[in-house]
Amino acid sequence: MHIVACVKFTPDPADIQVRPDGSISLERAEWVIGNFDLQAVEAGVRMIEQHGGQLTALSAGPAQAGSSKLRKDLLSHGPDALSLVIDESLRDADTATTARVLARAIEKLGGVDLVLCGEGSADLYFQQVGIQLGERLGWPVFNAVNHIECSSDQRVMIERDLEDEIEVLDVPLPAVLMVTTSINEPRLPTMKDILKAGKKPVSEWALADLGLEPAPGAVEVTSVSAPHQVQRKGVLITGAAQEAAQELVRHLTREGIL
Amino acid sequence: MAQSVLVFSEKPSLLAELIAGGLDMGMDVTALVCGERAGAEAALAAGAGQVLLVQPPEGAYLVEDLVPTLEAAARERQPALVLVGATRRGRVVAGRLAARLDTVALTDVLELKAGGDAFQARHMIFGGGALRVERLRAATVVATAGPGVYRARPPQQTAGAENILPMPFVDLDQCARAVLRERRPRAGASVNLAAAKRVVCAGRGVAKMEDLEQVNALARALNAEVACTRPLAEGLDWLPRERYIGISGAQVRPDLYLGVGVSGQVQHMIGMSRSKLVVAINKDQGAPIFAHADYGIVGDLYAVLPALLEALKNRP
Amino acid sequence: MSDDKFDVIIVGAGVAGSTAAALLAREGLQVVLIERGPYPGSKNLSGGVLYTRALERIFPEYAEEAPLERCITNQVISFMTADAAFNIDFKTAAFQKAPYNAFTVLRAKFDRWLAGKAEEAGAMLVPGIKVEQVLKDAAGKVVGVVAGEDELLADVVITADGATSFLAQQAGLRGRIDTRHVATGVKAVVALPQSVIEDRFRLDGNEGVAYTTLGAATRGVAGGGFLYTNRESLSVGLVMRLDDLVRTQSRPAEIFDEFLAHPHIAALLKDGELLEYGAHLVPEGGLAMLPQLHMPGMLVIGDAAGLVINNGFAIRGMDLAIGSAVAAAQAVMESKAAGDFSAGLGRYKTILDKSYVMKDMRTFARAPHFLDNPRLFKDYPALLADLMTRIYTQDAAGKPPTRAEARQSLKDSRISLAALARDILEGARAL
Ligand SMILES: Cc1cc2nc3c(=O)[nH]c(=O)nc-3n(C[C@H](O)[C@H](O)[C@H](O)COP(=O)(O)OP(=O)(O)OC[C@H]3O[C@@H](n4cnc5c(N)ncnc54)[C@H](O)[C@@H]3O)c2cc1C
Ligand SMILES: Cc1cc2nc3c(=O)[nH]c(=O)nc-3n(C[C@H](O)[C@H](O)[C@H](O)COP(=O)(O)OP(=O)(O)OC[C@H]3O[C@@H](n4cnc5c(N)ncnc54)[C@H](O)[C@@H]3O)c2cc1C
Ligand SMILES: Nc1ncnc2c1ncn2[C@@H]1O[C@H](COP(=O)(O)O)[C@@H](O)[C@H]1O
Repeated sequence: MHIVACVKFTPDPADIQVRPDGSISLERAEWVIGNFDLQAVEAGVRMIEQHGGQLTALSAGPAQAGSSKLRKDLLSHGPDALSLVIDESLRDADTATTARVLARAIEKLGGVDLVLCGEGSADLYFQQVGIQLGERLGWPVFNAVNHIECSSDQRVMIERDLEDEIEVLDVPLPAVLMVTTSINEPRLPTMKDILKAGKKPVSEWALADLGLEPAPGAVEVTSVSAPHQVQRKGVLITGAAQEAAQELVRHLTREGIL
Repeated sequence: MAQSVLVFSEKPSLLAELIAGGLDMGMDVTALVCGERAGAEAALAAGAGQVLLVQPPEGAYLVEDLVPTLEAAARERQPALVLVGATRRGRVVAGRLAARLDTVALTDVLELKAGGDAFQARHMIFGGGALRVERLRAATVVATAGPGVYRARPPQQTAGAENILPMPFVDLDQCARAVLRERRPRAGASVNLAAAKRVVCAGRGVAKMEDLEQVNALARALNAEVACTRPLAEGLDWLPRERYIGISGAQVRPDLYLGVGVSGQVQHMIGMSRSKLVVAINKDQGAPIFAHADYGIVGDLYAVLPALLEALKNRP
Repeated sequence: MSDDKFDVIIVGAGVAGSTAAALLAREGLQVVLIERGPYPGSKNLSGGVLYTRALERIFPEYAEEAPLERCITNQVISFMTADAAFNIDFKTAAFQKAPYNAFTVLRAKFDRWLAGKAEEAGAMLVPGIKVEQVLKDAAGKVVGVVAGEDELLADVVITADGATSFLAQQAGLRGRIDTRHVATGVKAVVALPQSVIEDRFRLDGNEGVAYTTLGAATRGVAGGGFLYTNRESLSVGLVMRLDDLVRTQSRPAEIFDEFLAHPHIAALLKDGELLEYGAHLVPEGGLAMLPQLHMPGMLVIGDAAGLVINNGFAIRGMDLAIGSAVAAAQAVMESKAAGDFSAGLGRYKTILDKSYVMKDMRTFARAPHFLDNPRLFKDYPALLADLMTRIYTQDAAGKPPTRAEARQSLKDSRISLAALARDILEGARAL
């Protein structure tokens, strides 16, 4: 079985800085592996451990997404190989562009049985790329996948964690699945995992290698800014529960709630 | 001529909100409904100008199987916008449709504005750390919006029954199909938090599932709906998914939001920031929620809740 | 070579560890460099004036490549009381031209660069892993390290794990740290636009200034403060003796807050944005604190070996860390040639002894003692401030002559002339 796990490298959301004018700066941000994508990697590792085969990690992005640190870091989480599509035009790429690029890369890899994606990317969290990717490949595609079981070489049994129900589906391969953040607990790489990671094969493609040309996306980002905060009164009531409760009731009465 | 929007959600309450959203944007609204005629009538009552009523296929089918039908409707009618309810299934529907139309899907928008030949959308990125405004130009724009982004209009009969148009189910999917094996419904009555005037929201500060009864009691006393943070609905499974508020859950804008044992993480707060009055009960004075509250009681909820119930009962 | 056996394992990718790794990998050795932080420098805190002469010898390209902030062209010593500051501002042409001898660095960037040099040379960097234990054979020779469930073997383990060096302790190279031999460093990085820094400190291009403060800053707790200019930020911090903190029951964070709020410091930080904040131990025992530097199969370098000089006016640790790494690398190569990684490693001490590292350690051997003197932190700053206040205060009676004022100040300050003379003498000898 050949499994591909799609992973997005993004600026660390924890490193966002707000400029005095309210806009957002990512210049100082460290780039990291999208933390919900590690669940896709882990799900792939577990399937390979059980059924054998190969797990390839796949990522598309601008130059920062190809640093040797990130490569090693990702490979230390268990994939056997890494394929990177690096192109400056992929910075802030929209979901359609990313899905198109990933679809081509998966076709180029060839012989892929299953593609796993995270619940959403750590920066945009649109929860879309996997879906659009599946449709572009013409394969069955599902999200909210909370459990995967290989029923044969050609099929997987999945459980989807939906708002009002759990759905069990028997899905023919090849397919694309977006896993939930609770499907597993990604393992921490050990010293030996990290040492091994340095020796695993990495292939790097430009868009041209995939027969694609950089195309401007349909989405134009007009602004990125710190969320506006509503001014609140900020009255803090401390002290004994009885008095505090009575005071709150007085406030609520005055506010016209009661 | 007004622009037109095609709206779809498998969830009737959300469909009503999306219809209202289309009307808010001054668009002609067509809803696609699959199944019973009653659903189509409800959509008309919610304000849709037209309803495409799709006869479901024989046997079990997935909501996602409607994608080719939606695509056919979109290609035929060329709406400026297809607006899909942002449930998990809805995200699949929107994404697959967008790919078929070779465009993107703007997901989980907080606001969508039609302007000229483009749409402008606002939504959170970086887990709520930043707000992004983007413009999308496409013949047909696909977007999803979750519960609470729009307010459903009170039901009224405007368009006549002749505006319910039958639409065939299109089964174009060439690719191998998934087979439905089982559906296990989750317990819990359906709720529409988006419309709630008052919300009492339970967080991880509630130690045991049984203790939710105290939160329920407070909600009853305040005539409020019970909501929760994501961990209580997903993971602990104490409450149904549709009761959690936040970036990946419901957007609420009640007159009163009262958080009990909620820390106030940004992913949650995004869903309730439009509440008129925010009250928090938390034992940690440093909890982030206090920075976003009008009134906060610093104290153990197990002492404060009984006291509050008592105070509400004895209110003059 | 098997997958799990290497020539050298180095624990800690700080200045010391990465330098040693680069030197040994250049010699063709299989080197593993293990760092517990998610990347080198992520956990490192330092005031950040690096005396670069040692670095230059190993990485002649450093001036073009390394993420250096500013070269120090101007040194200021501030004596502070609660509301005043007396500055000695030292600027010399010698500082102003190449070869520059000191640069400010930010460790998060610098350590990464240095570890990158080690990787370039062929060392294998293993970040995000905390070494928990050294592994010994039956004879007590160190043969590897343990982290989680993994064991890794090597001919030599070099521990460069910093001031608290848990590994040196665990291996038996030293006992528990004596609180009299360590200080607590508290440091913050405050962002300011480049143009503001250059205007405020009157700097041109990549010029930089280093402030050292003595006095009120530390509430009489032995130690001092610093403020260094980076390109677009300031490094500001305090180093306080741990035993003094305990004795006076002071909390470092409180003292640090007071320091930042001091009018003299606050004016320099004005409108800045706090980027990071942290605390770290600084070995200060000087020669008295040096552990045993080697044992069969293992060497200790950098802060882990206690190689820091704090003379009250400047902290030097990074260049000594580099010097010790050079000595260690040489000793390992010699041991390898001789095929003896037990007694052979004793060469490290000999080489280190002859290097500038130990020469300087001996030169400043008196510094810790001199710095023990409370007058330096409490009385002199008050004295100077009082004196300056008298000199610059105009009163109706007219100004008495300055020497008389100095004497008056001295009298008020409870310091005897004899003590003053003694301190001046000791200071001159120690520094
Ligand atoms: C991609 C992503 C999307 C997410 N989307 C959402 C979302 O849509 N909605 C959402 O809610 N979360 C979401 N989360 C999770 C979110 O980050 C927080 O983990 C979650 O909101 C925390 O819930 P909480 O406040 O109930 O729990 P905690 O953060 O654990 O807080 C519990 C609080 O209870 C207080 N407390 C404890 N005991 C008592 C007591 N006896 N009396 C009073 N107070 C007490 C504590 O002081 C604490 O402040 C998302 C996370 C991610 C990564
Ligand atoms: C506030 C302050 C100001 C200073 N100012 C200056 C100055 O201006 N100039 C100067 O030259 N020196 C200064 N110093 C001293 C200088 O920082 C140190 O001497 C220098 O960092 C020593 O380098 P090192 O490589 O030995 O140790 P460190 O830089 O401490 O590096 C040790 C590394 O080992 C890692 N590590 C620790 N334990 C483990 C483990 N078990 N497993 C894996 N990895 C581990 C750590 O994460 C760290 O990266 C200052 C120190 C402080 C605290
Ligand atoms: N640039 C990318 N490279 C690889 N995989 C990606 C990329 N962007 C998104 N993905 C995958 O698609 C999922 C959904 O992304 P998003 O639609 O951006 O939330 C992520 O969790 C990843 O698994």
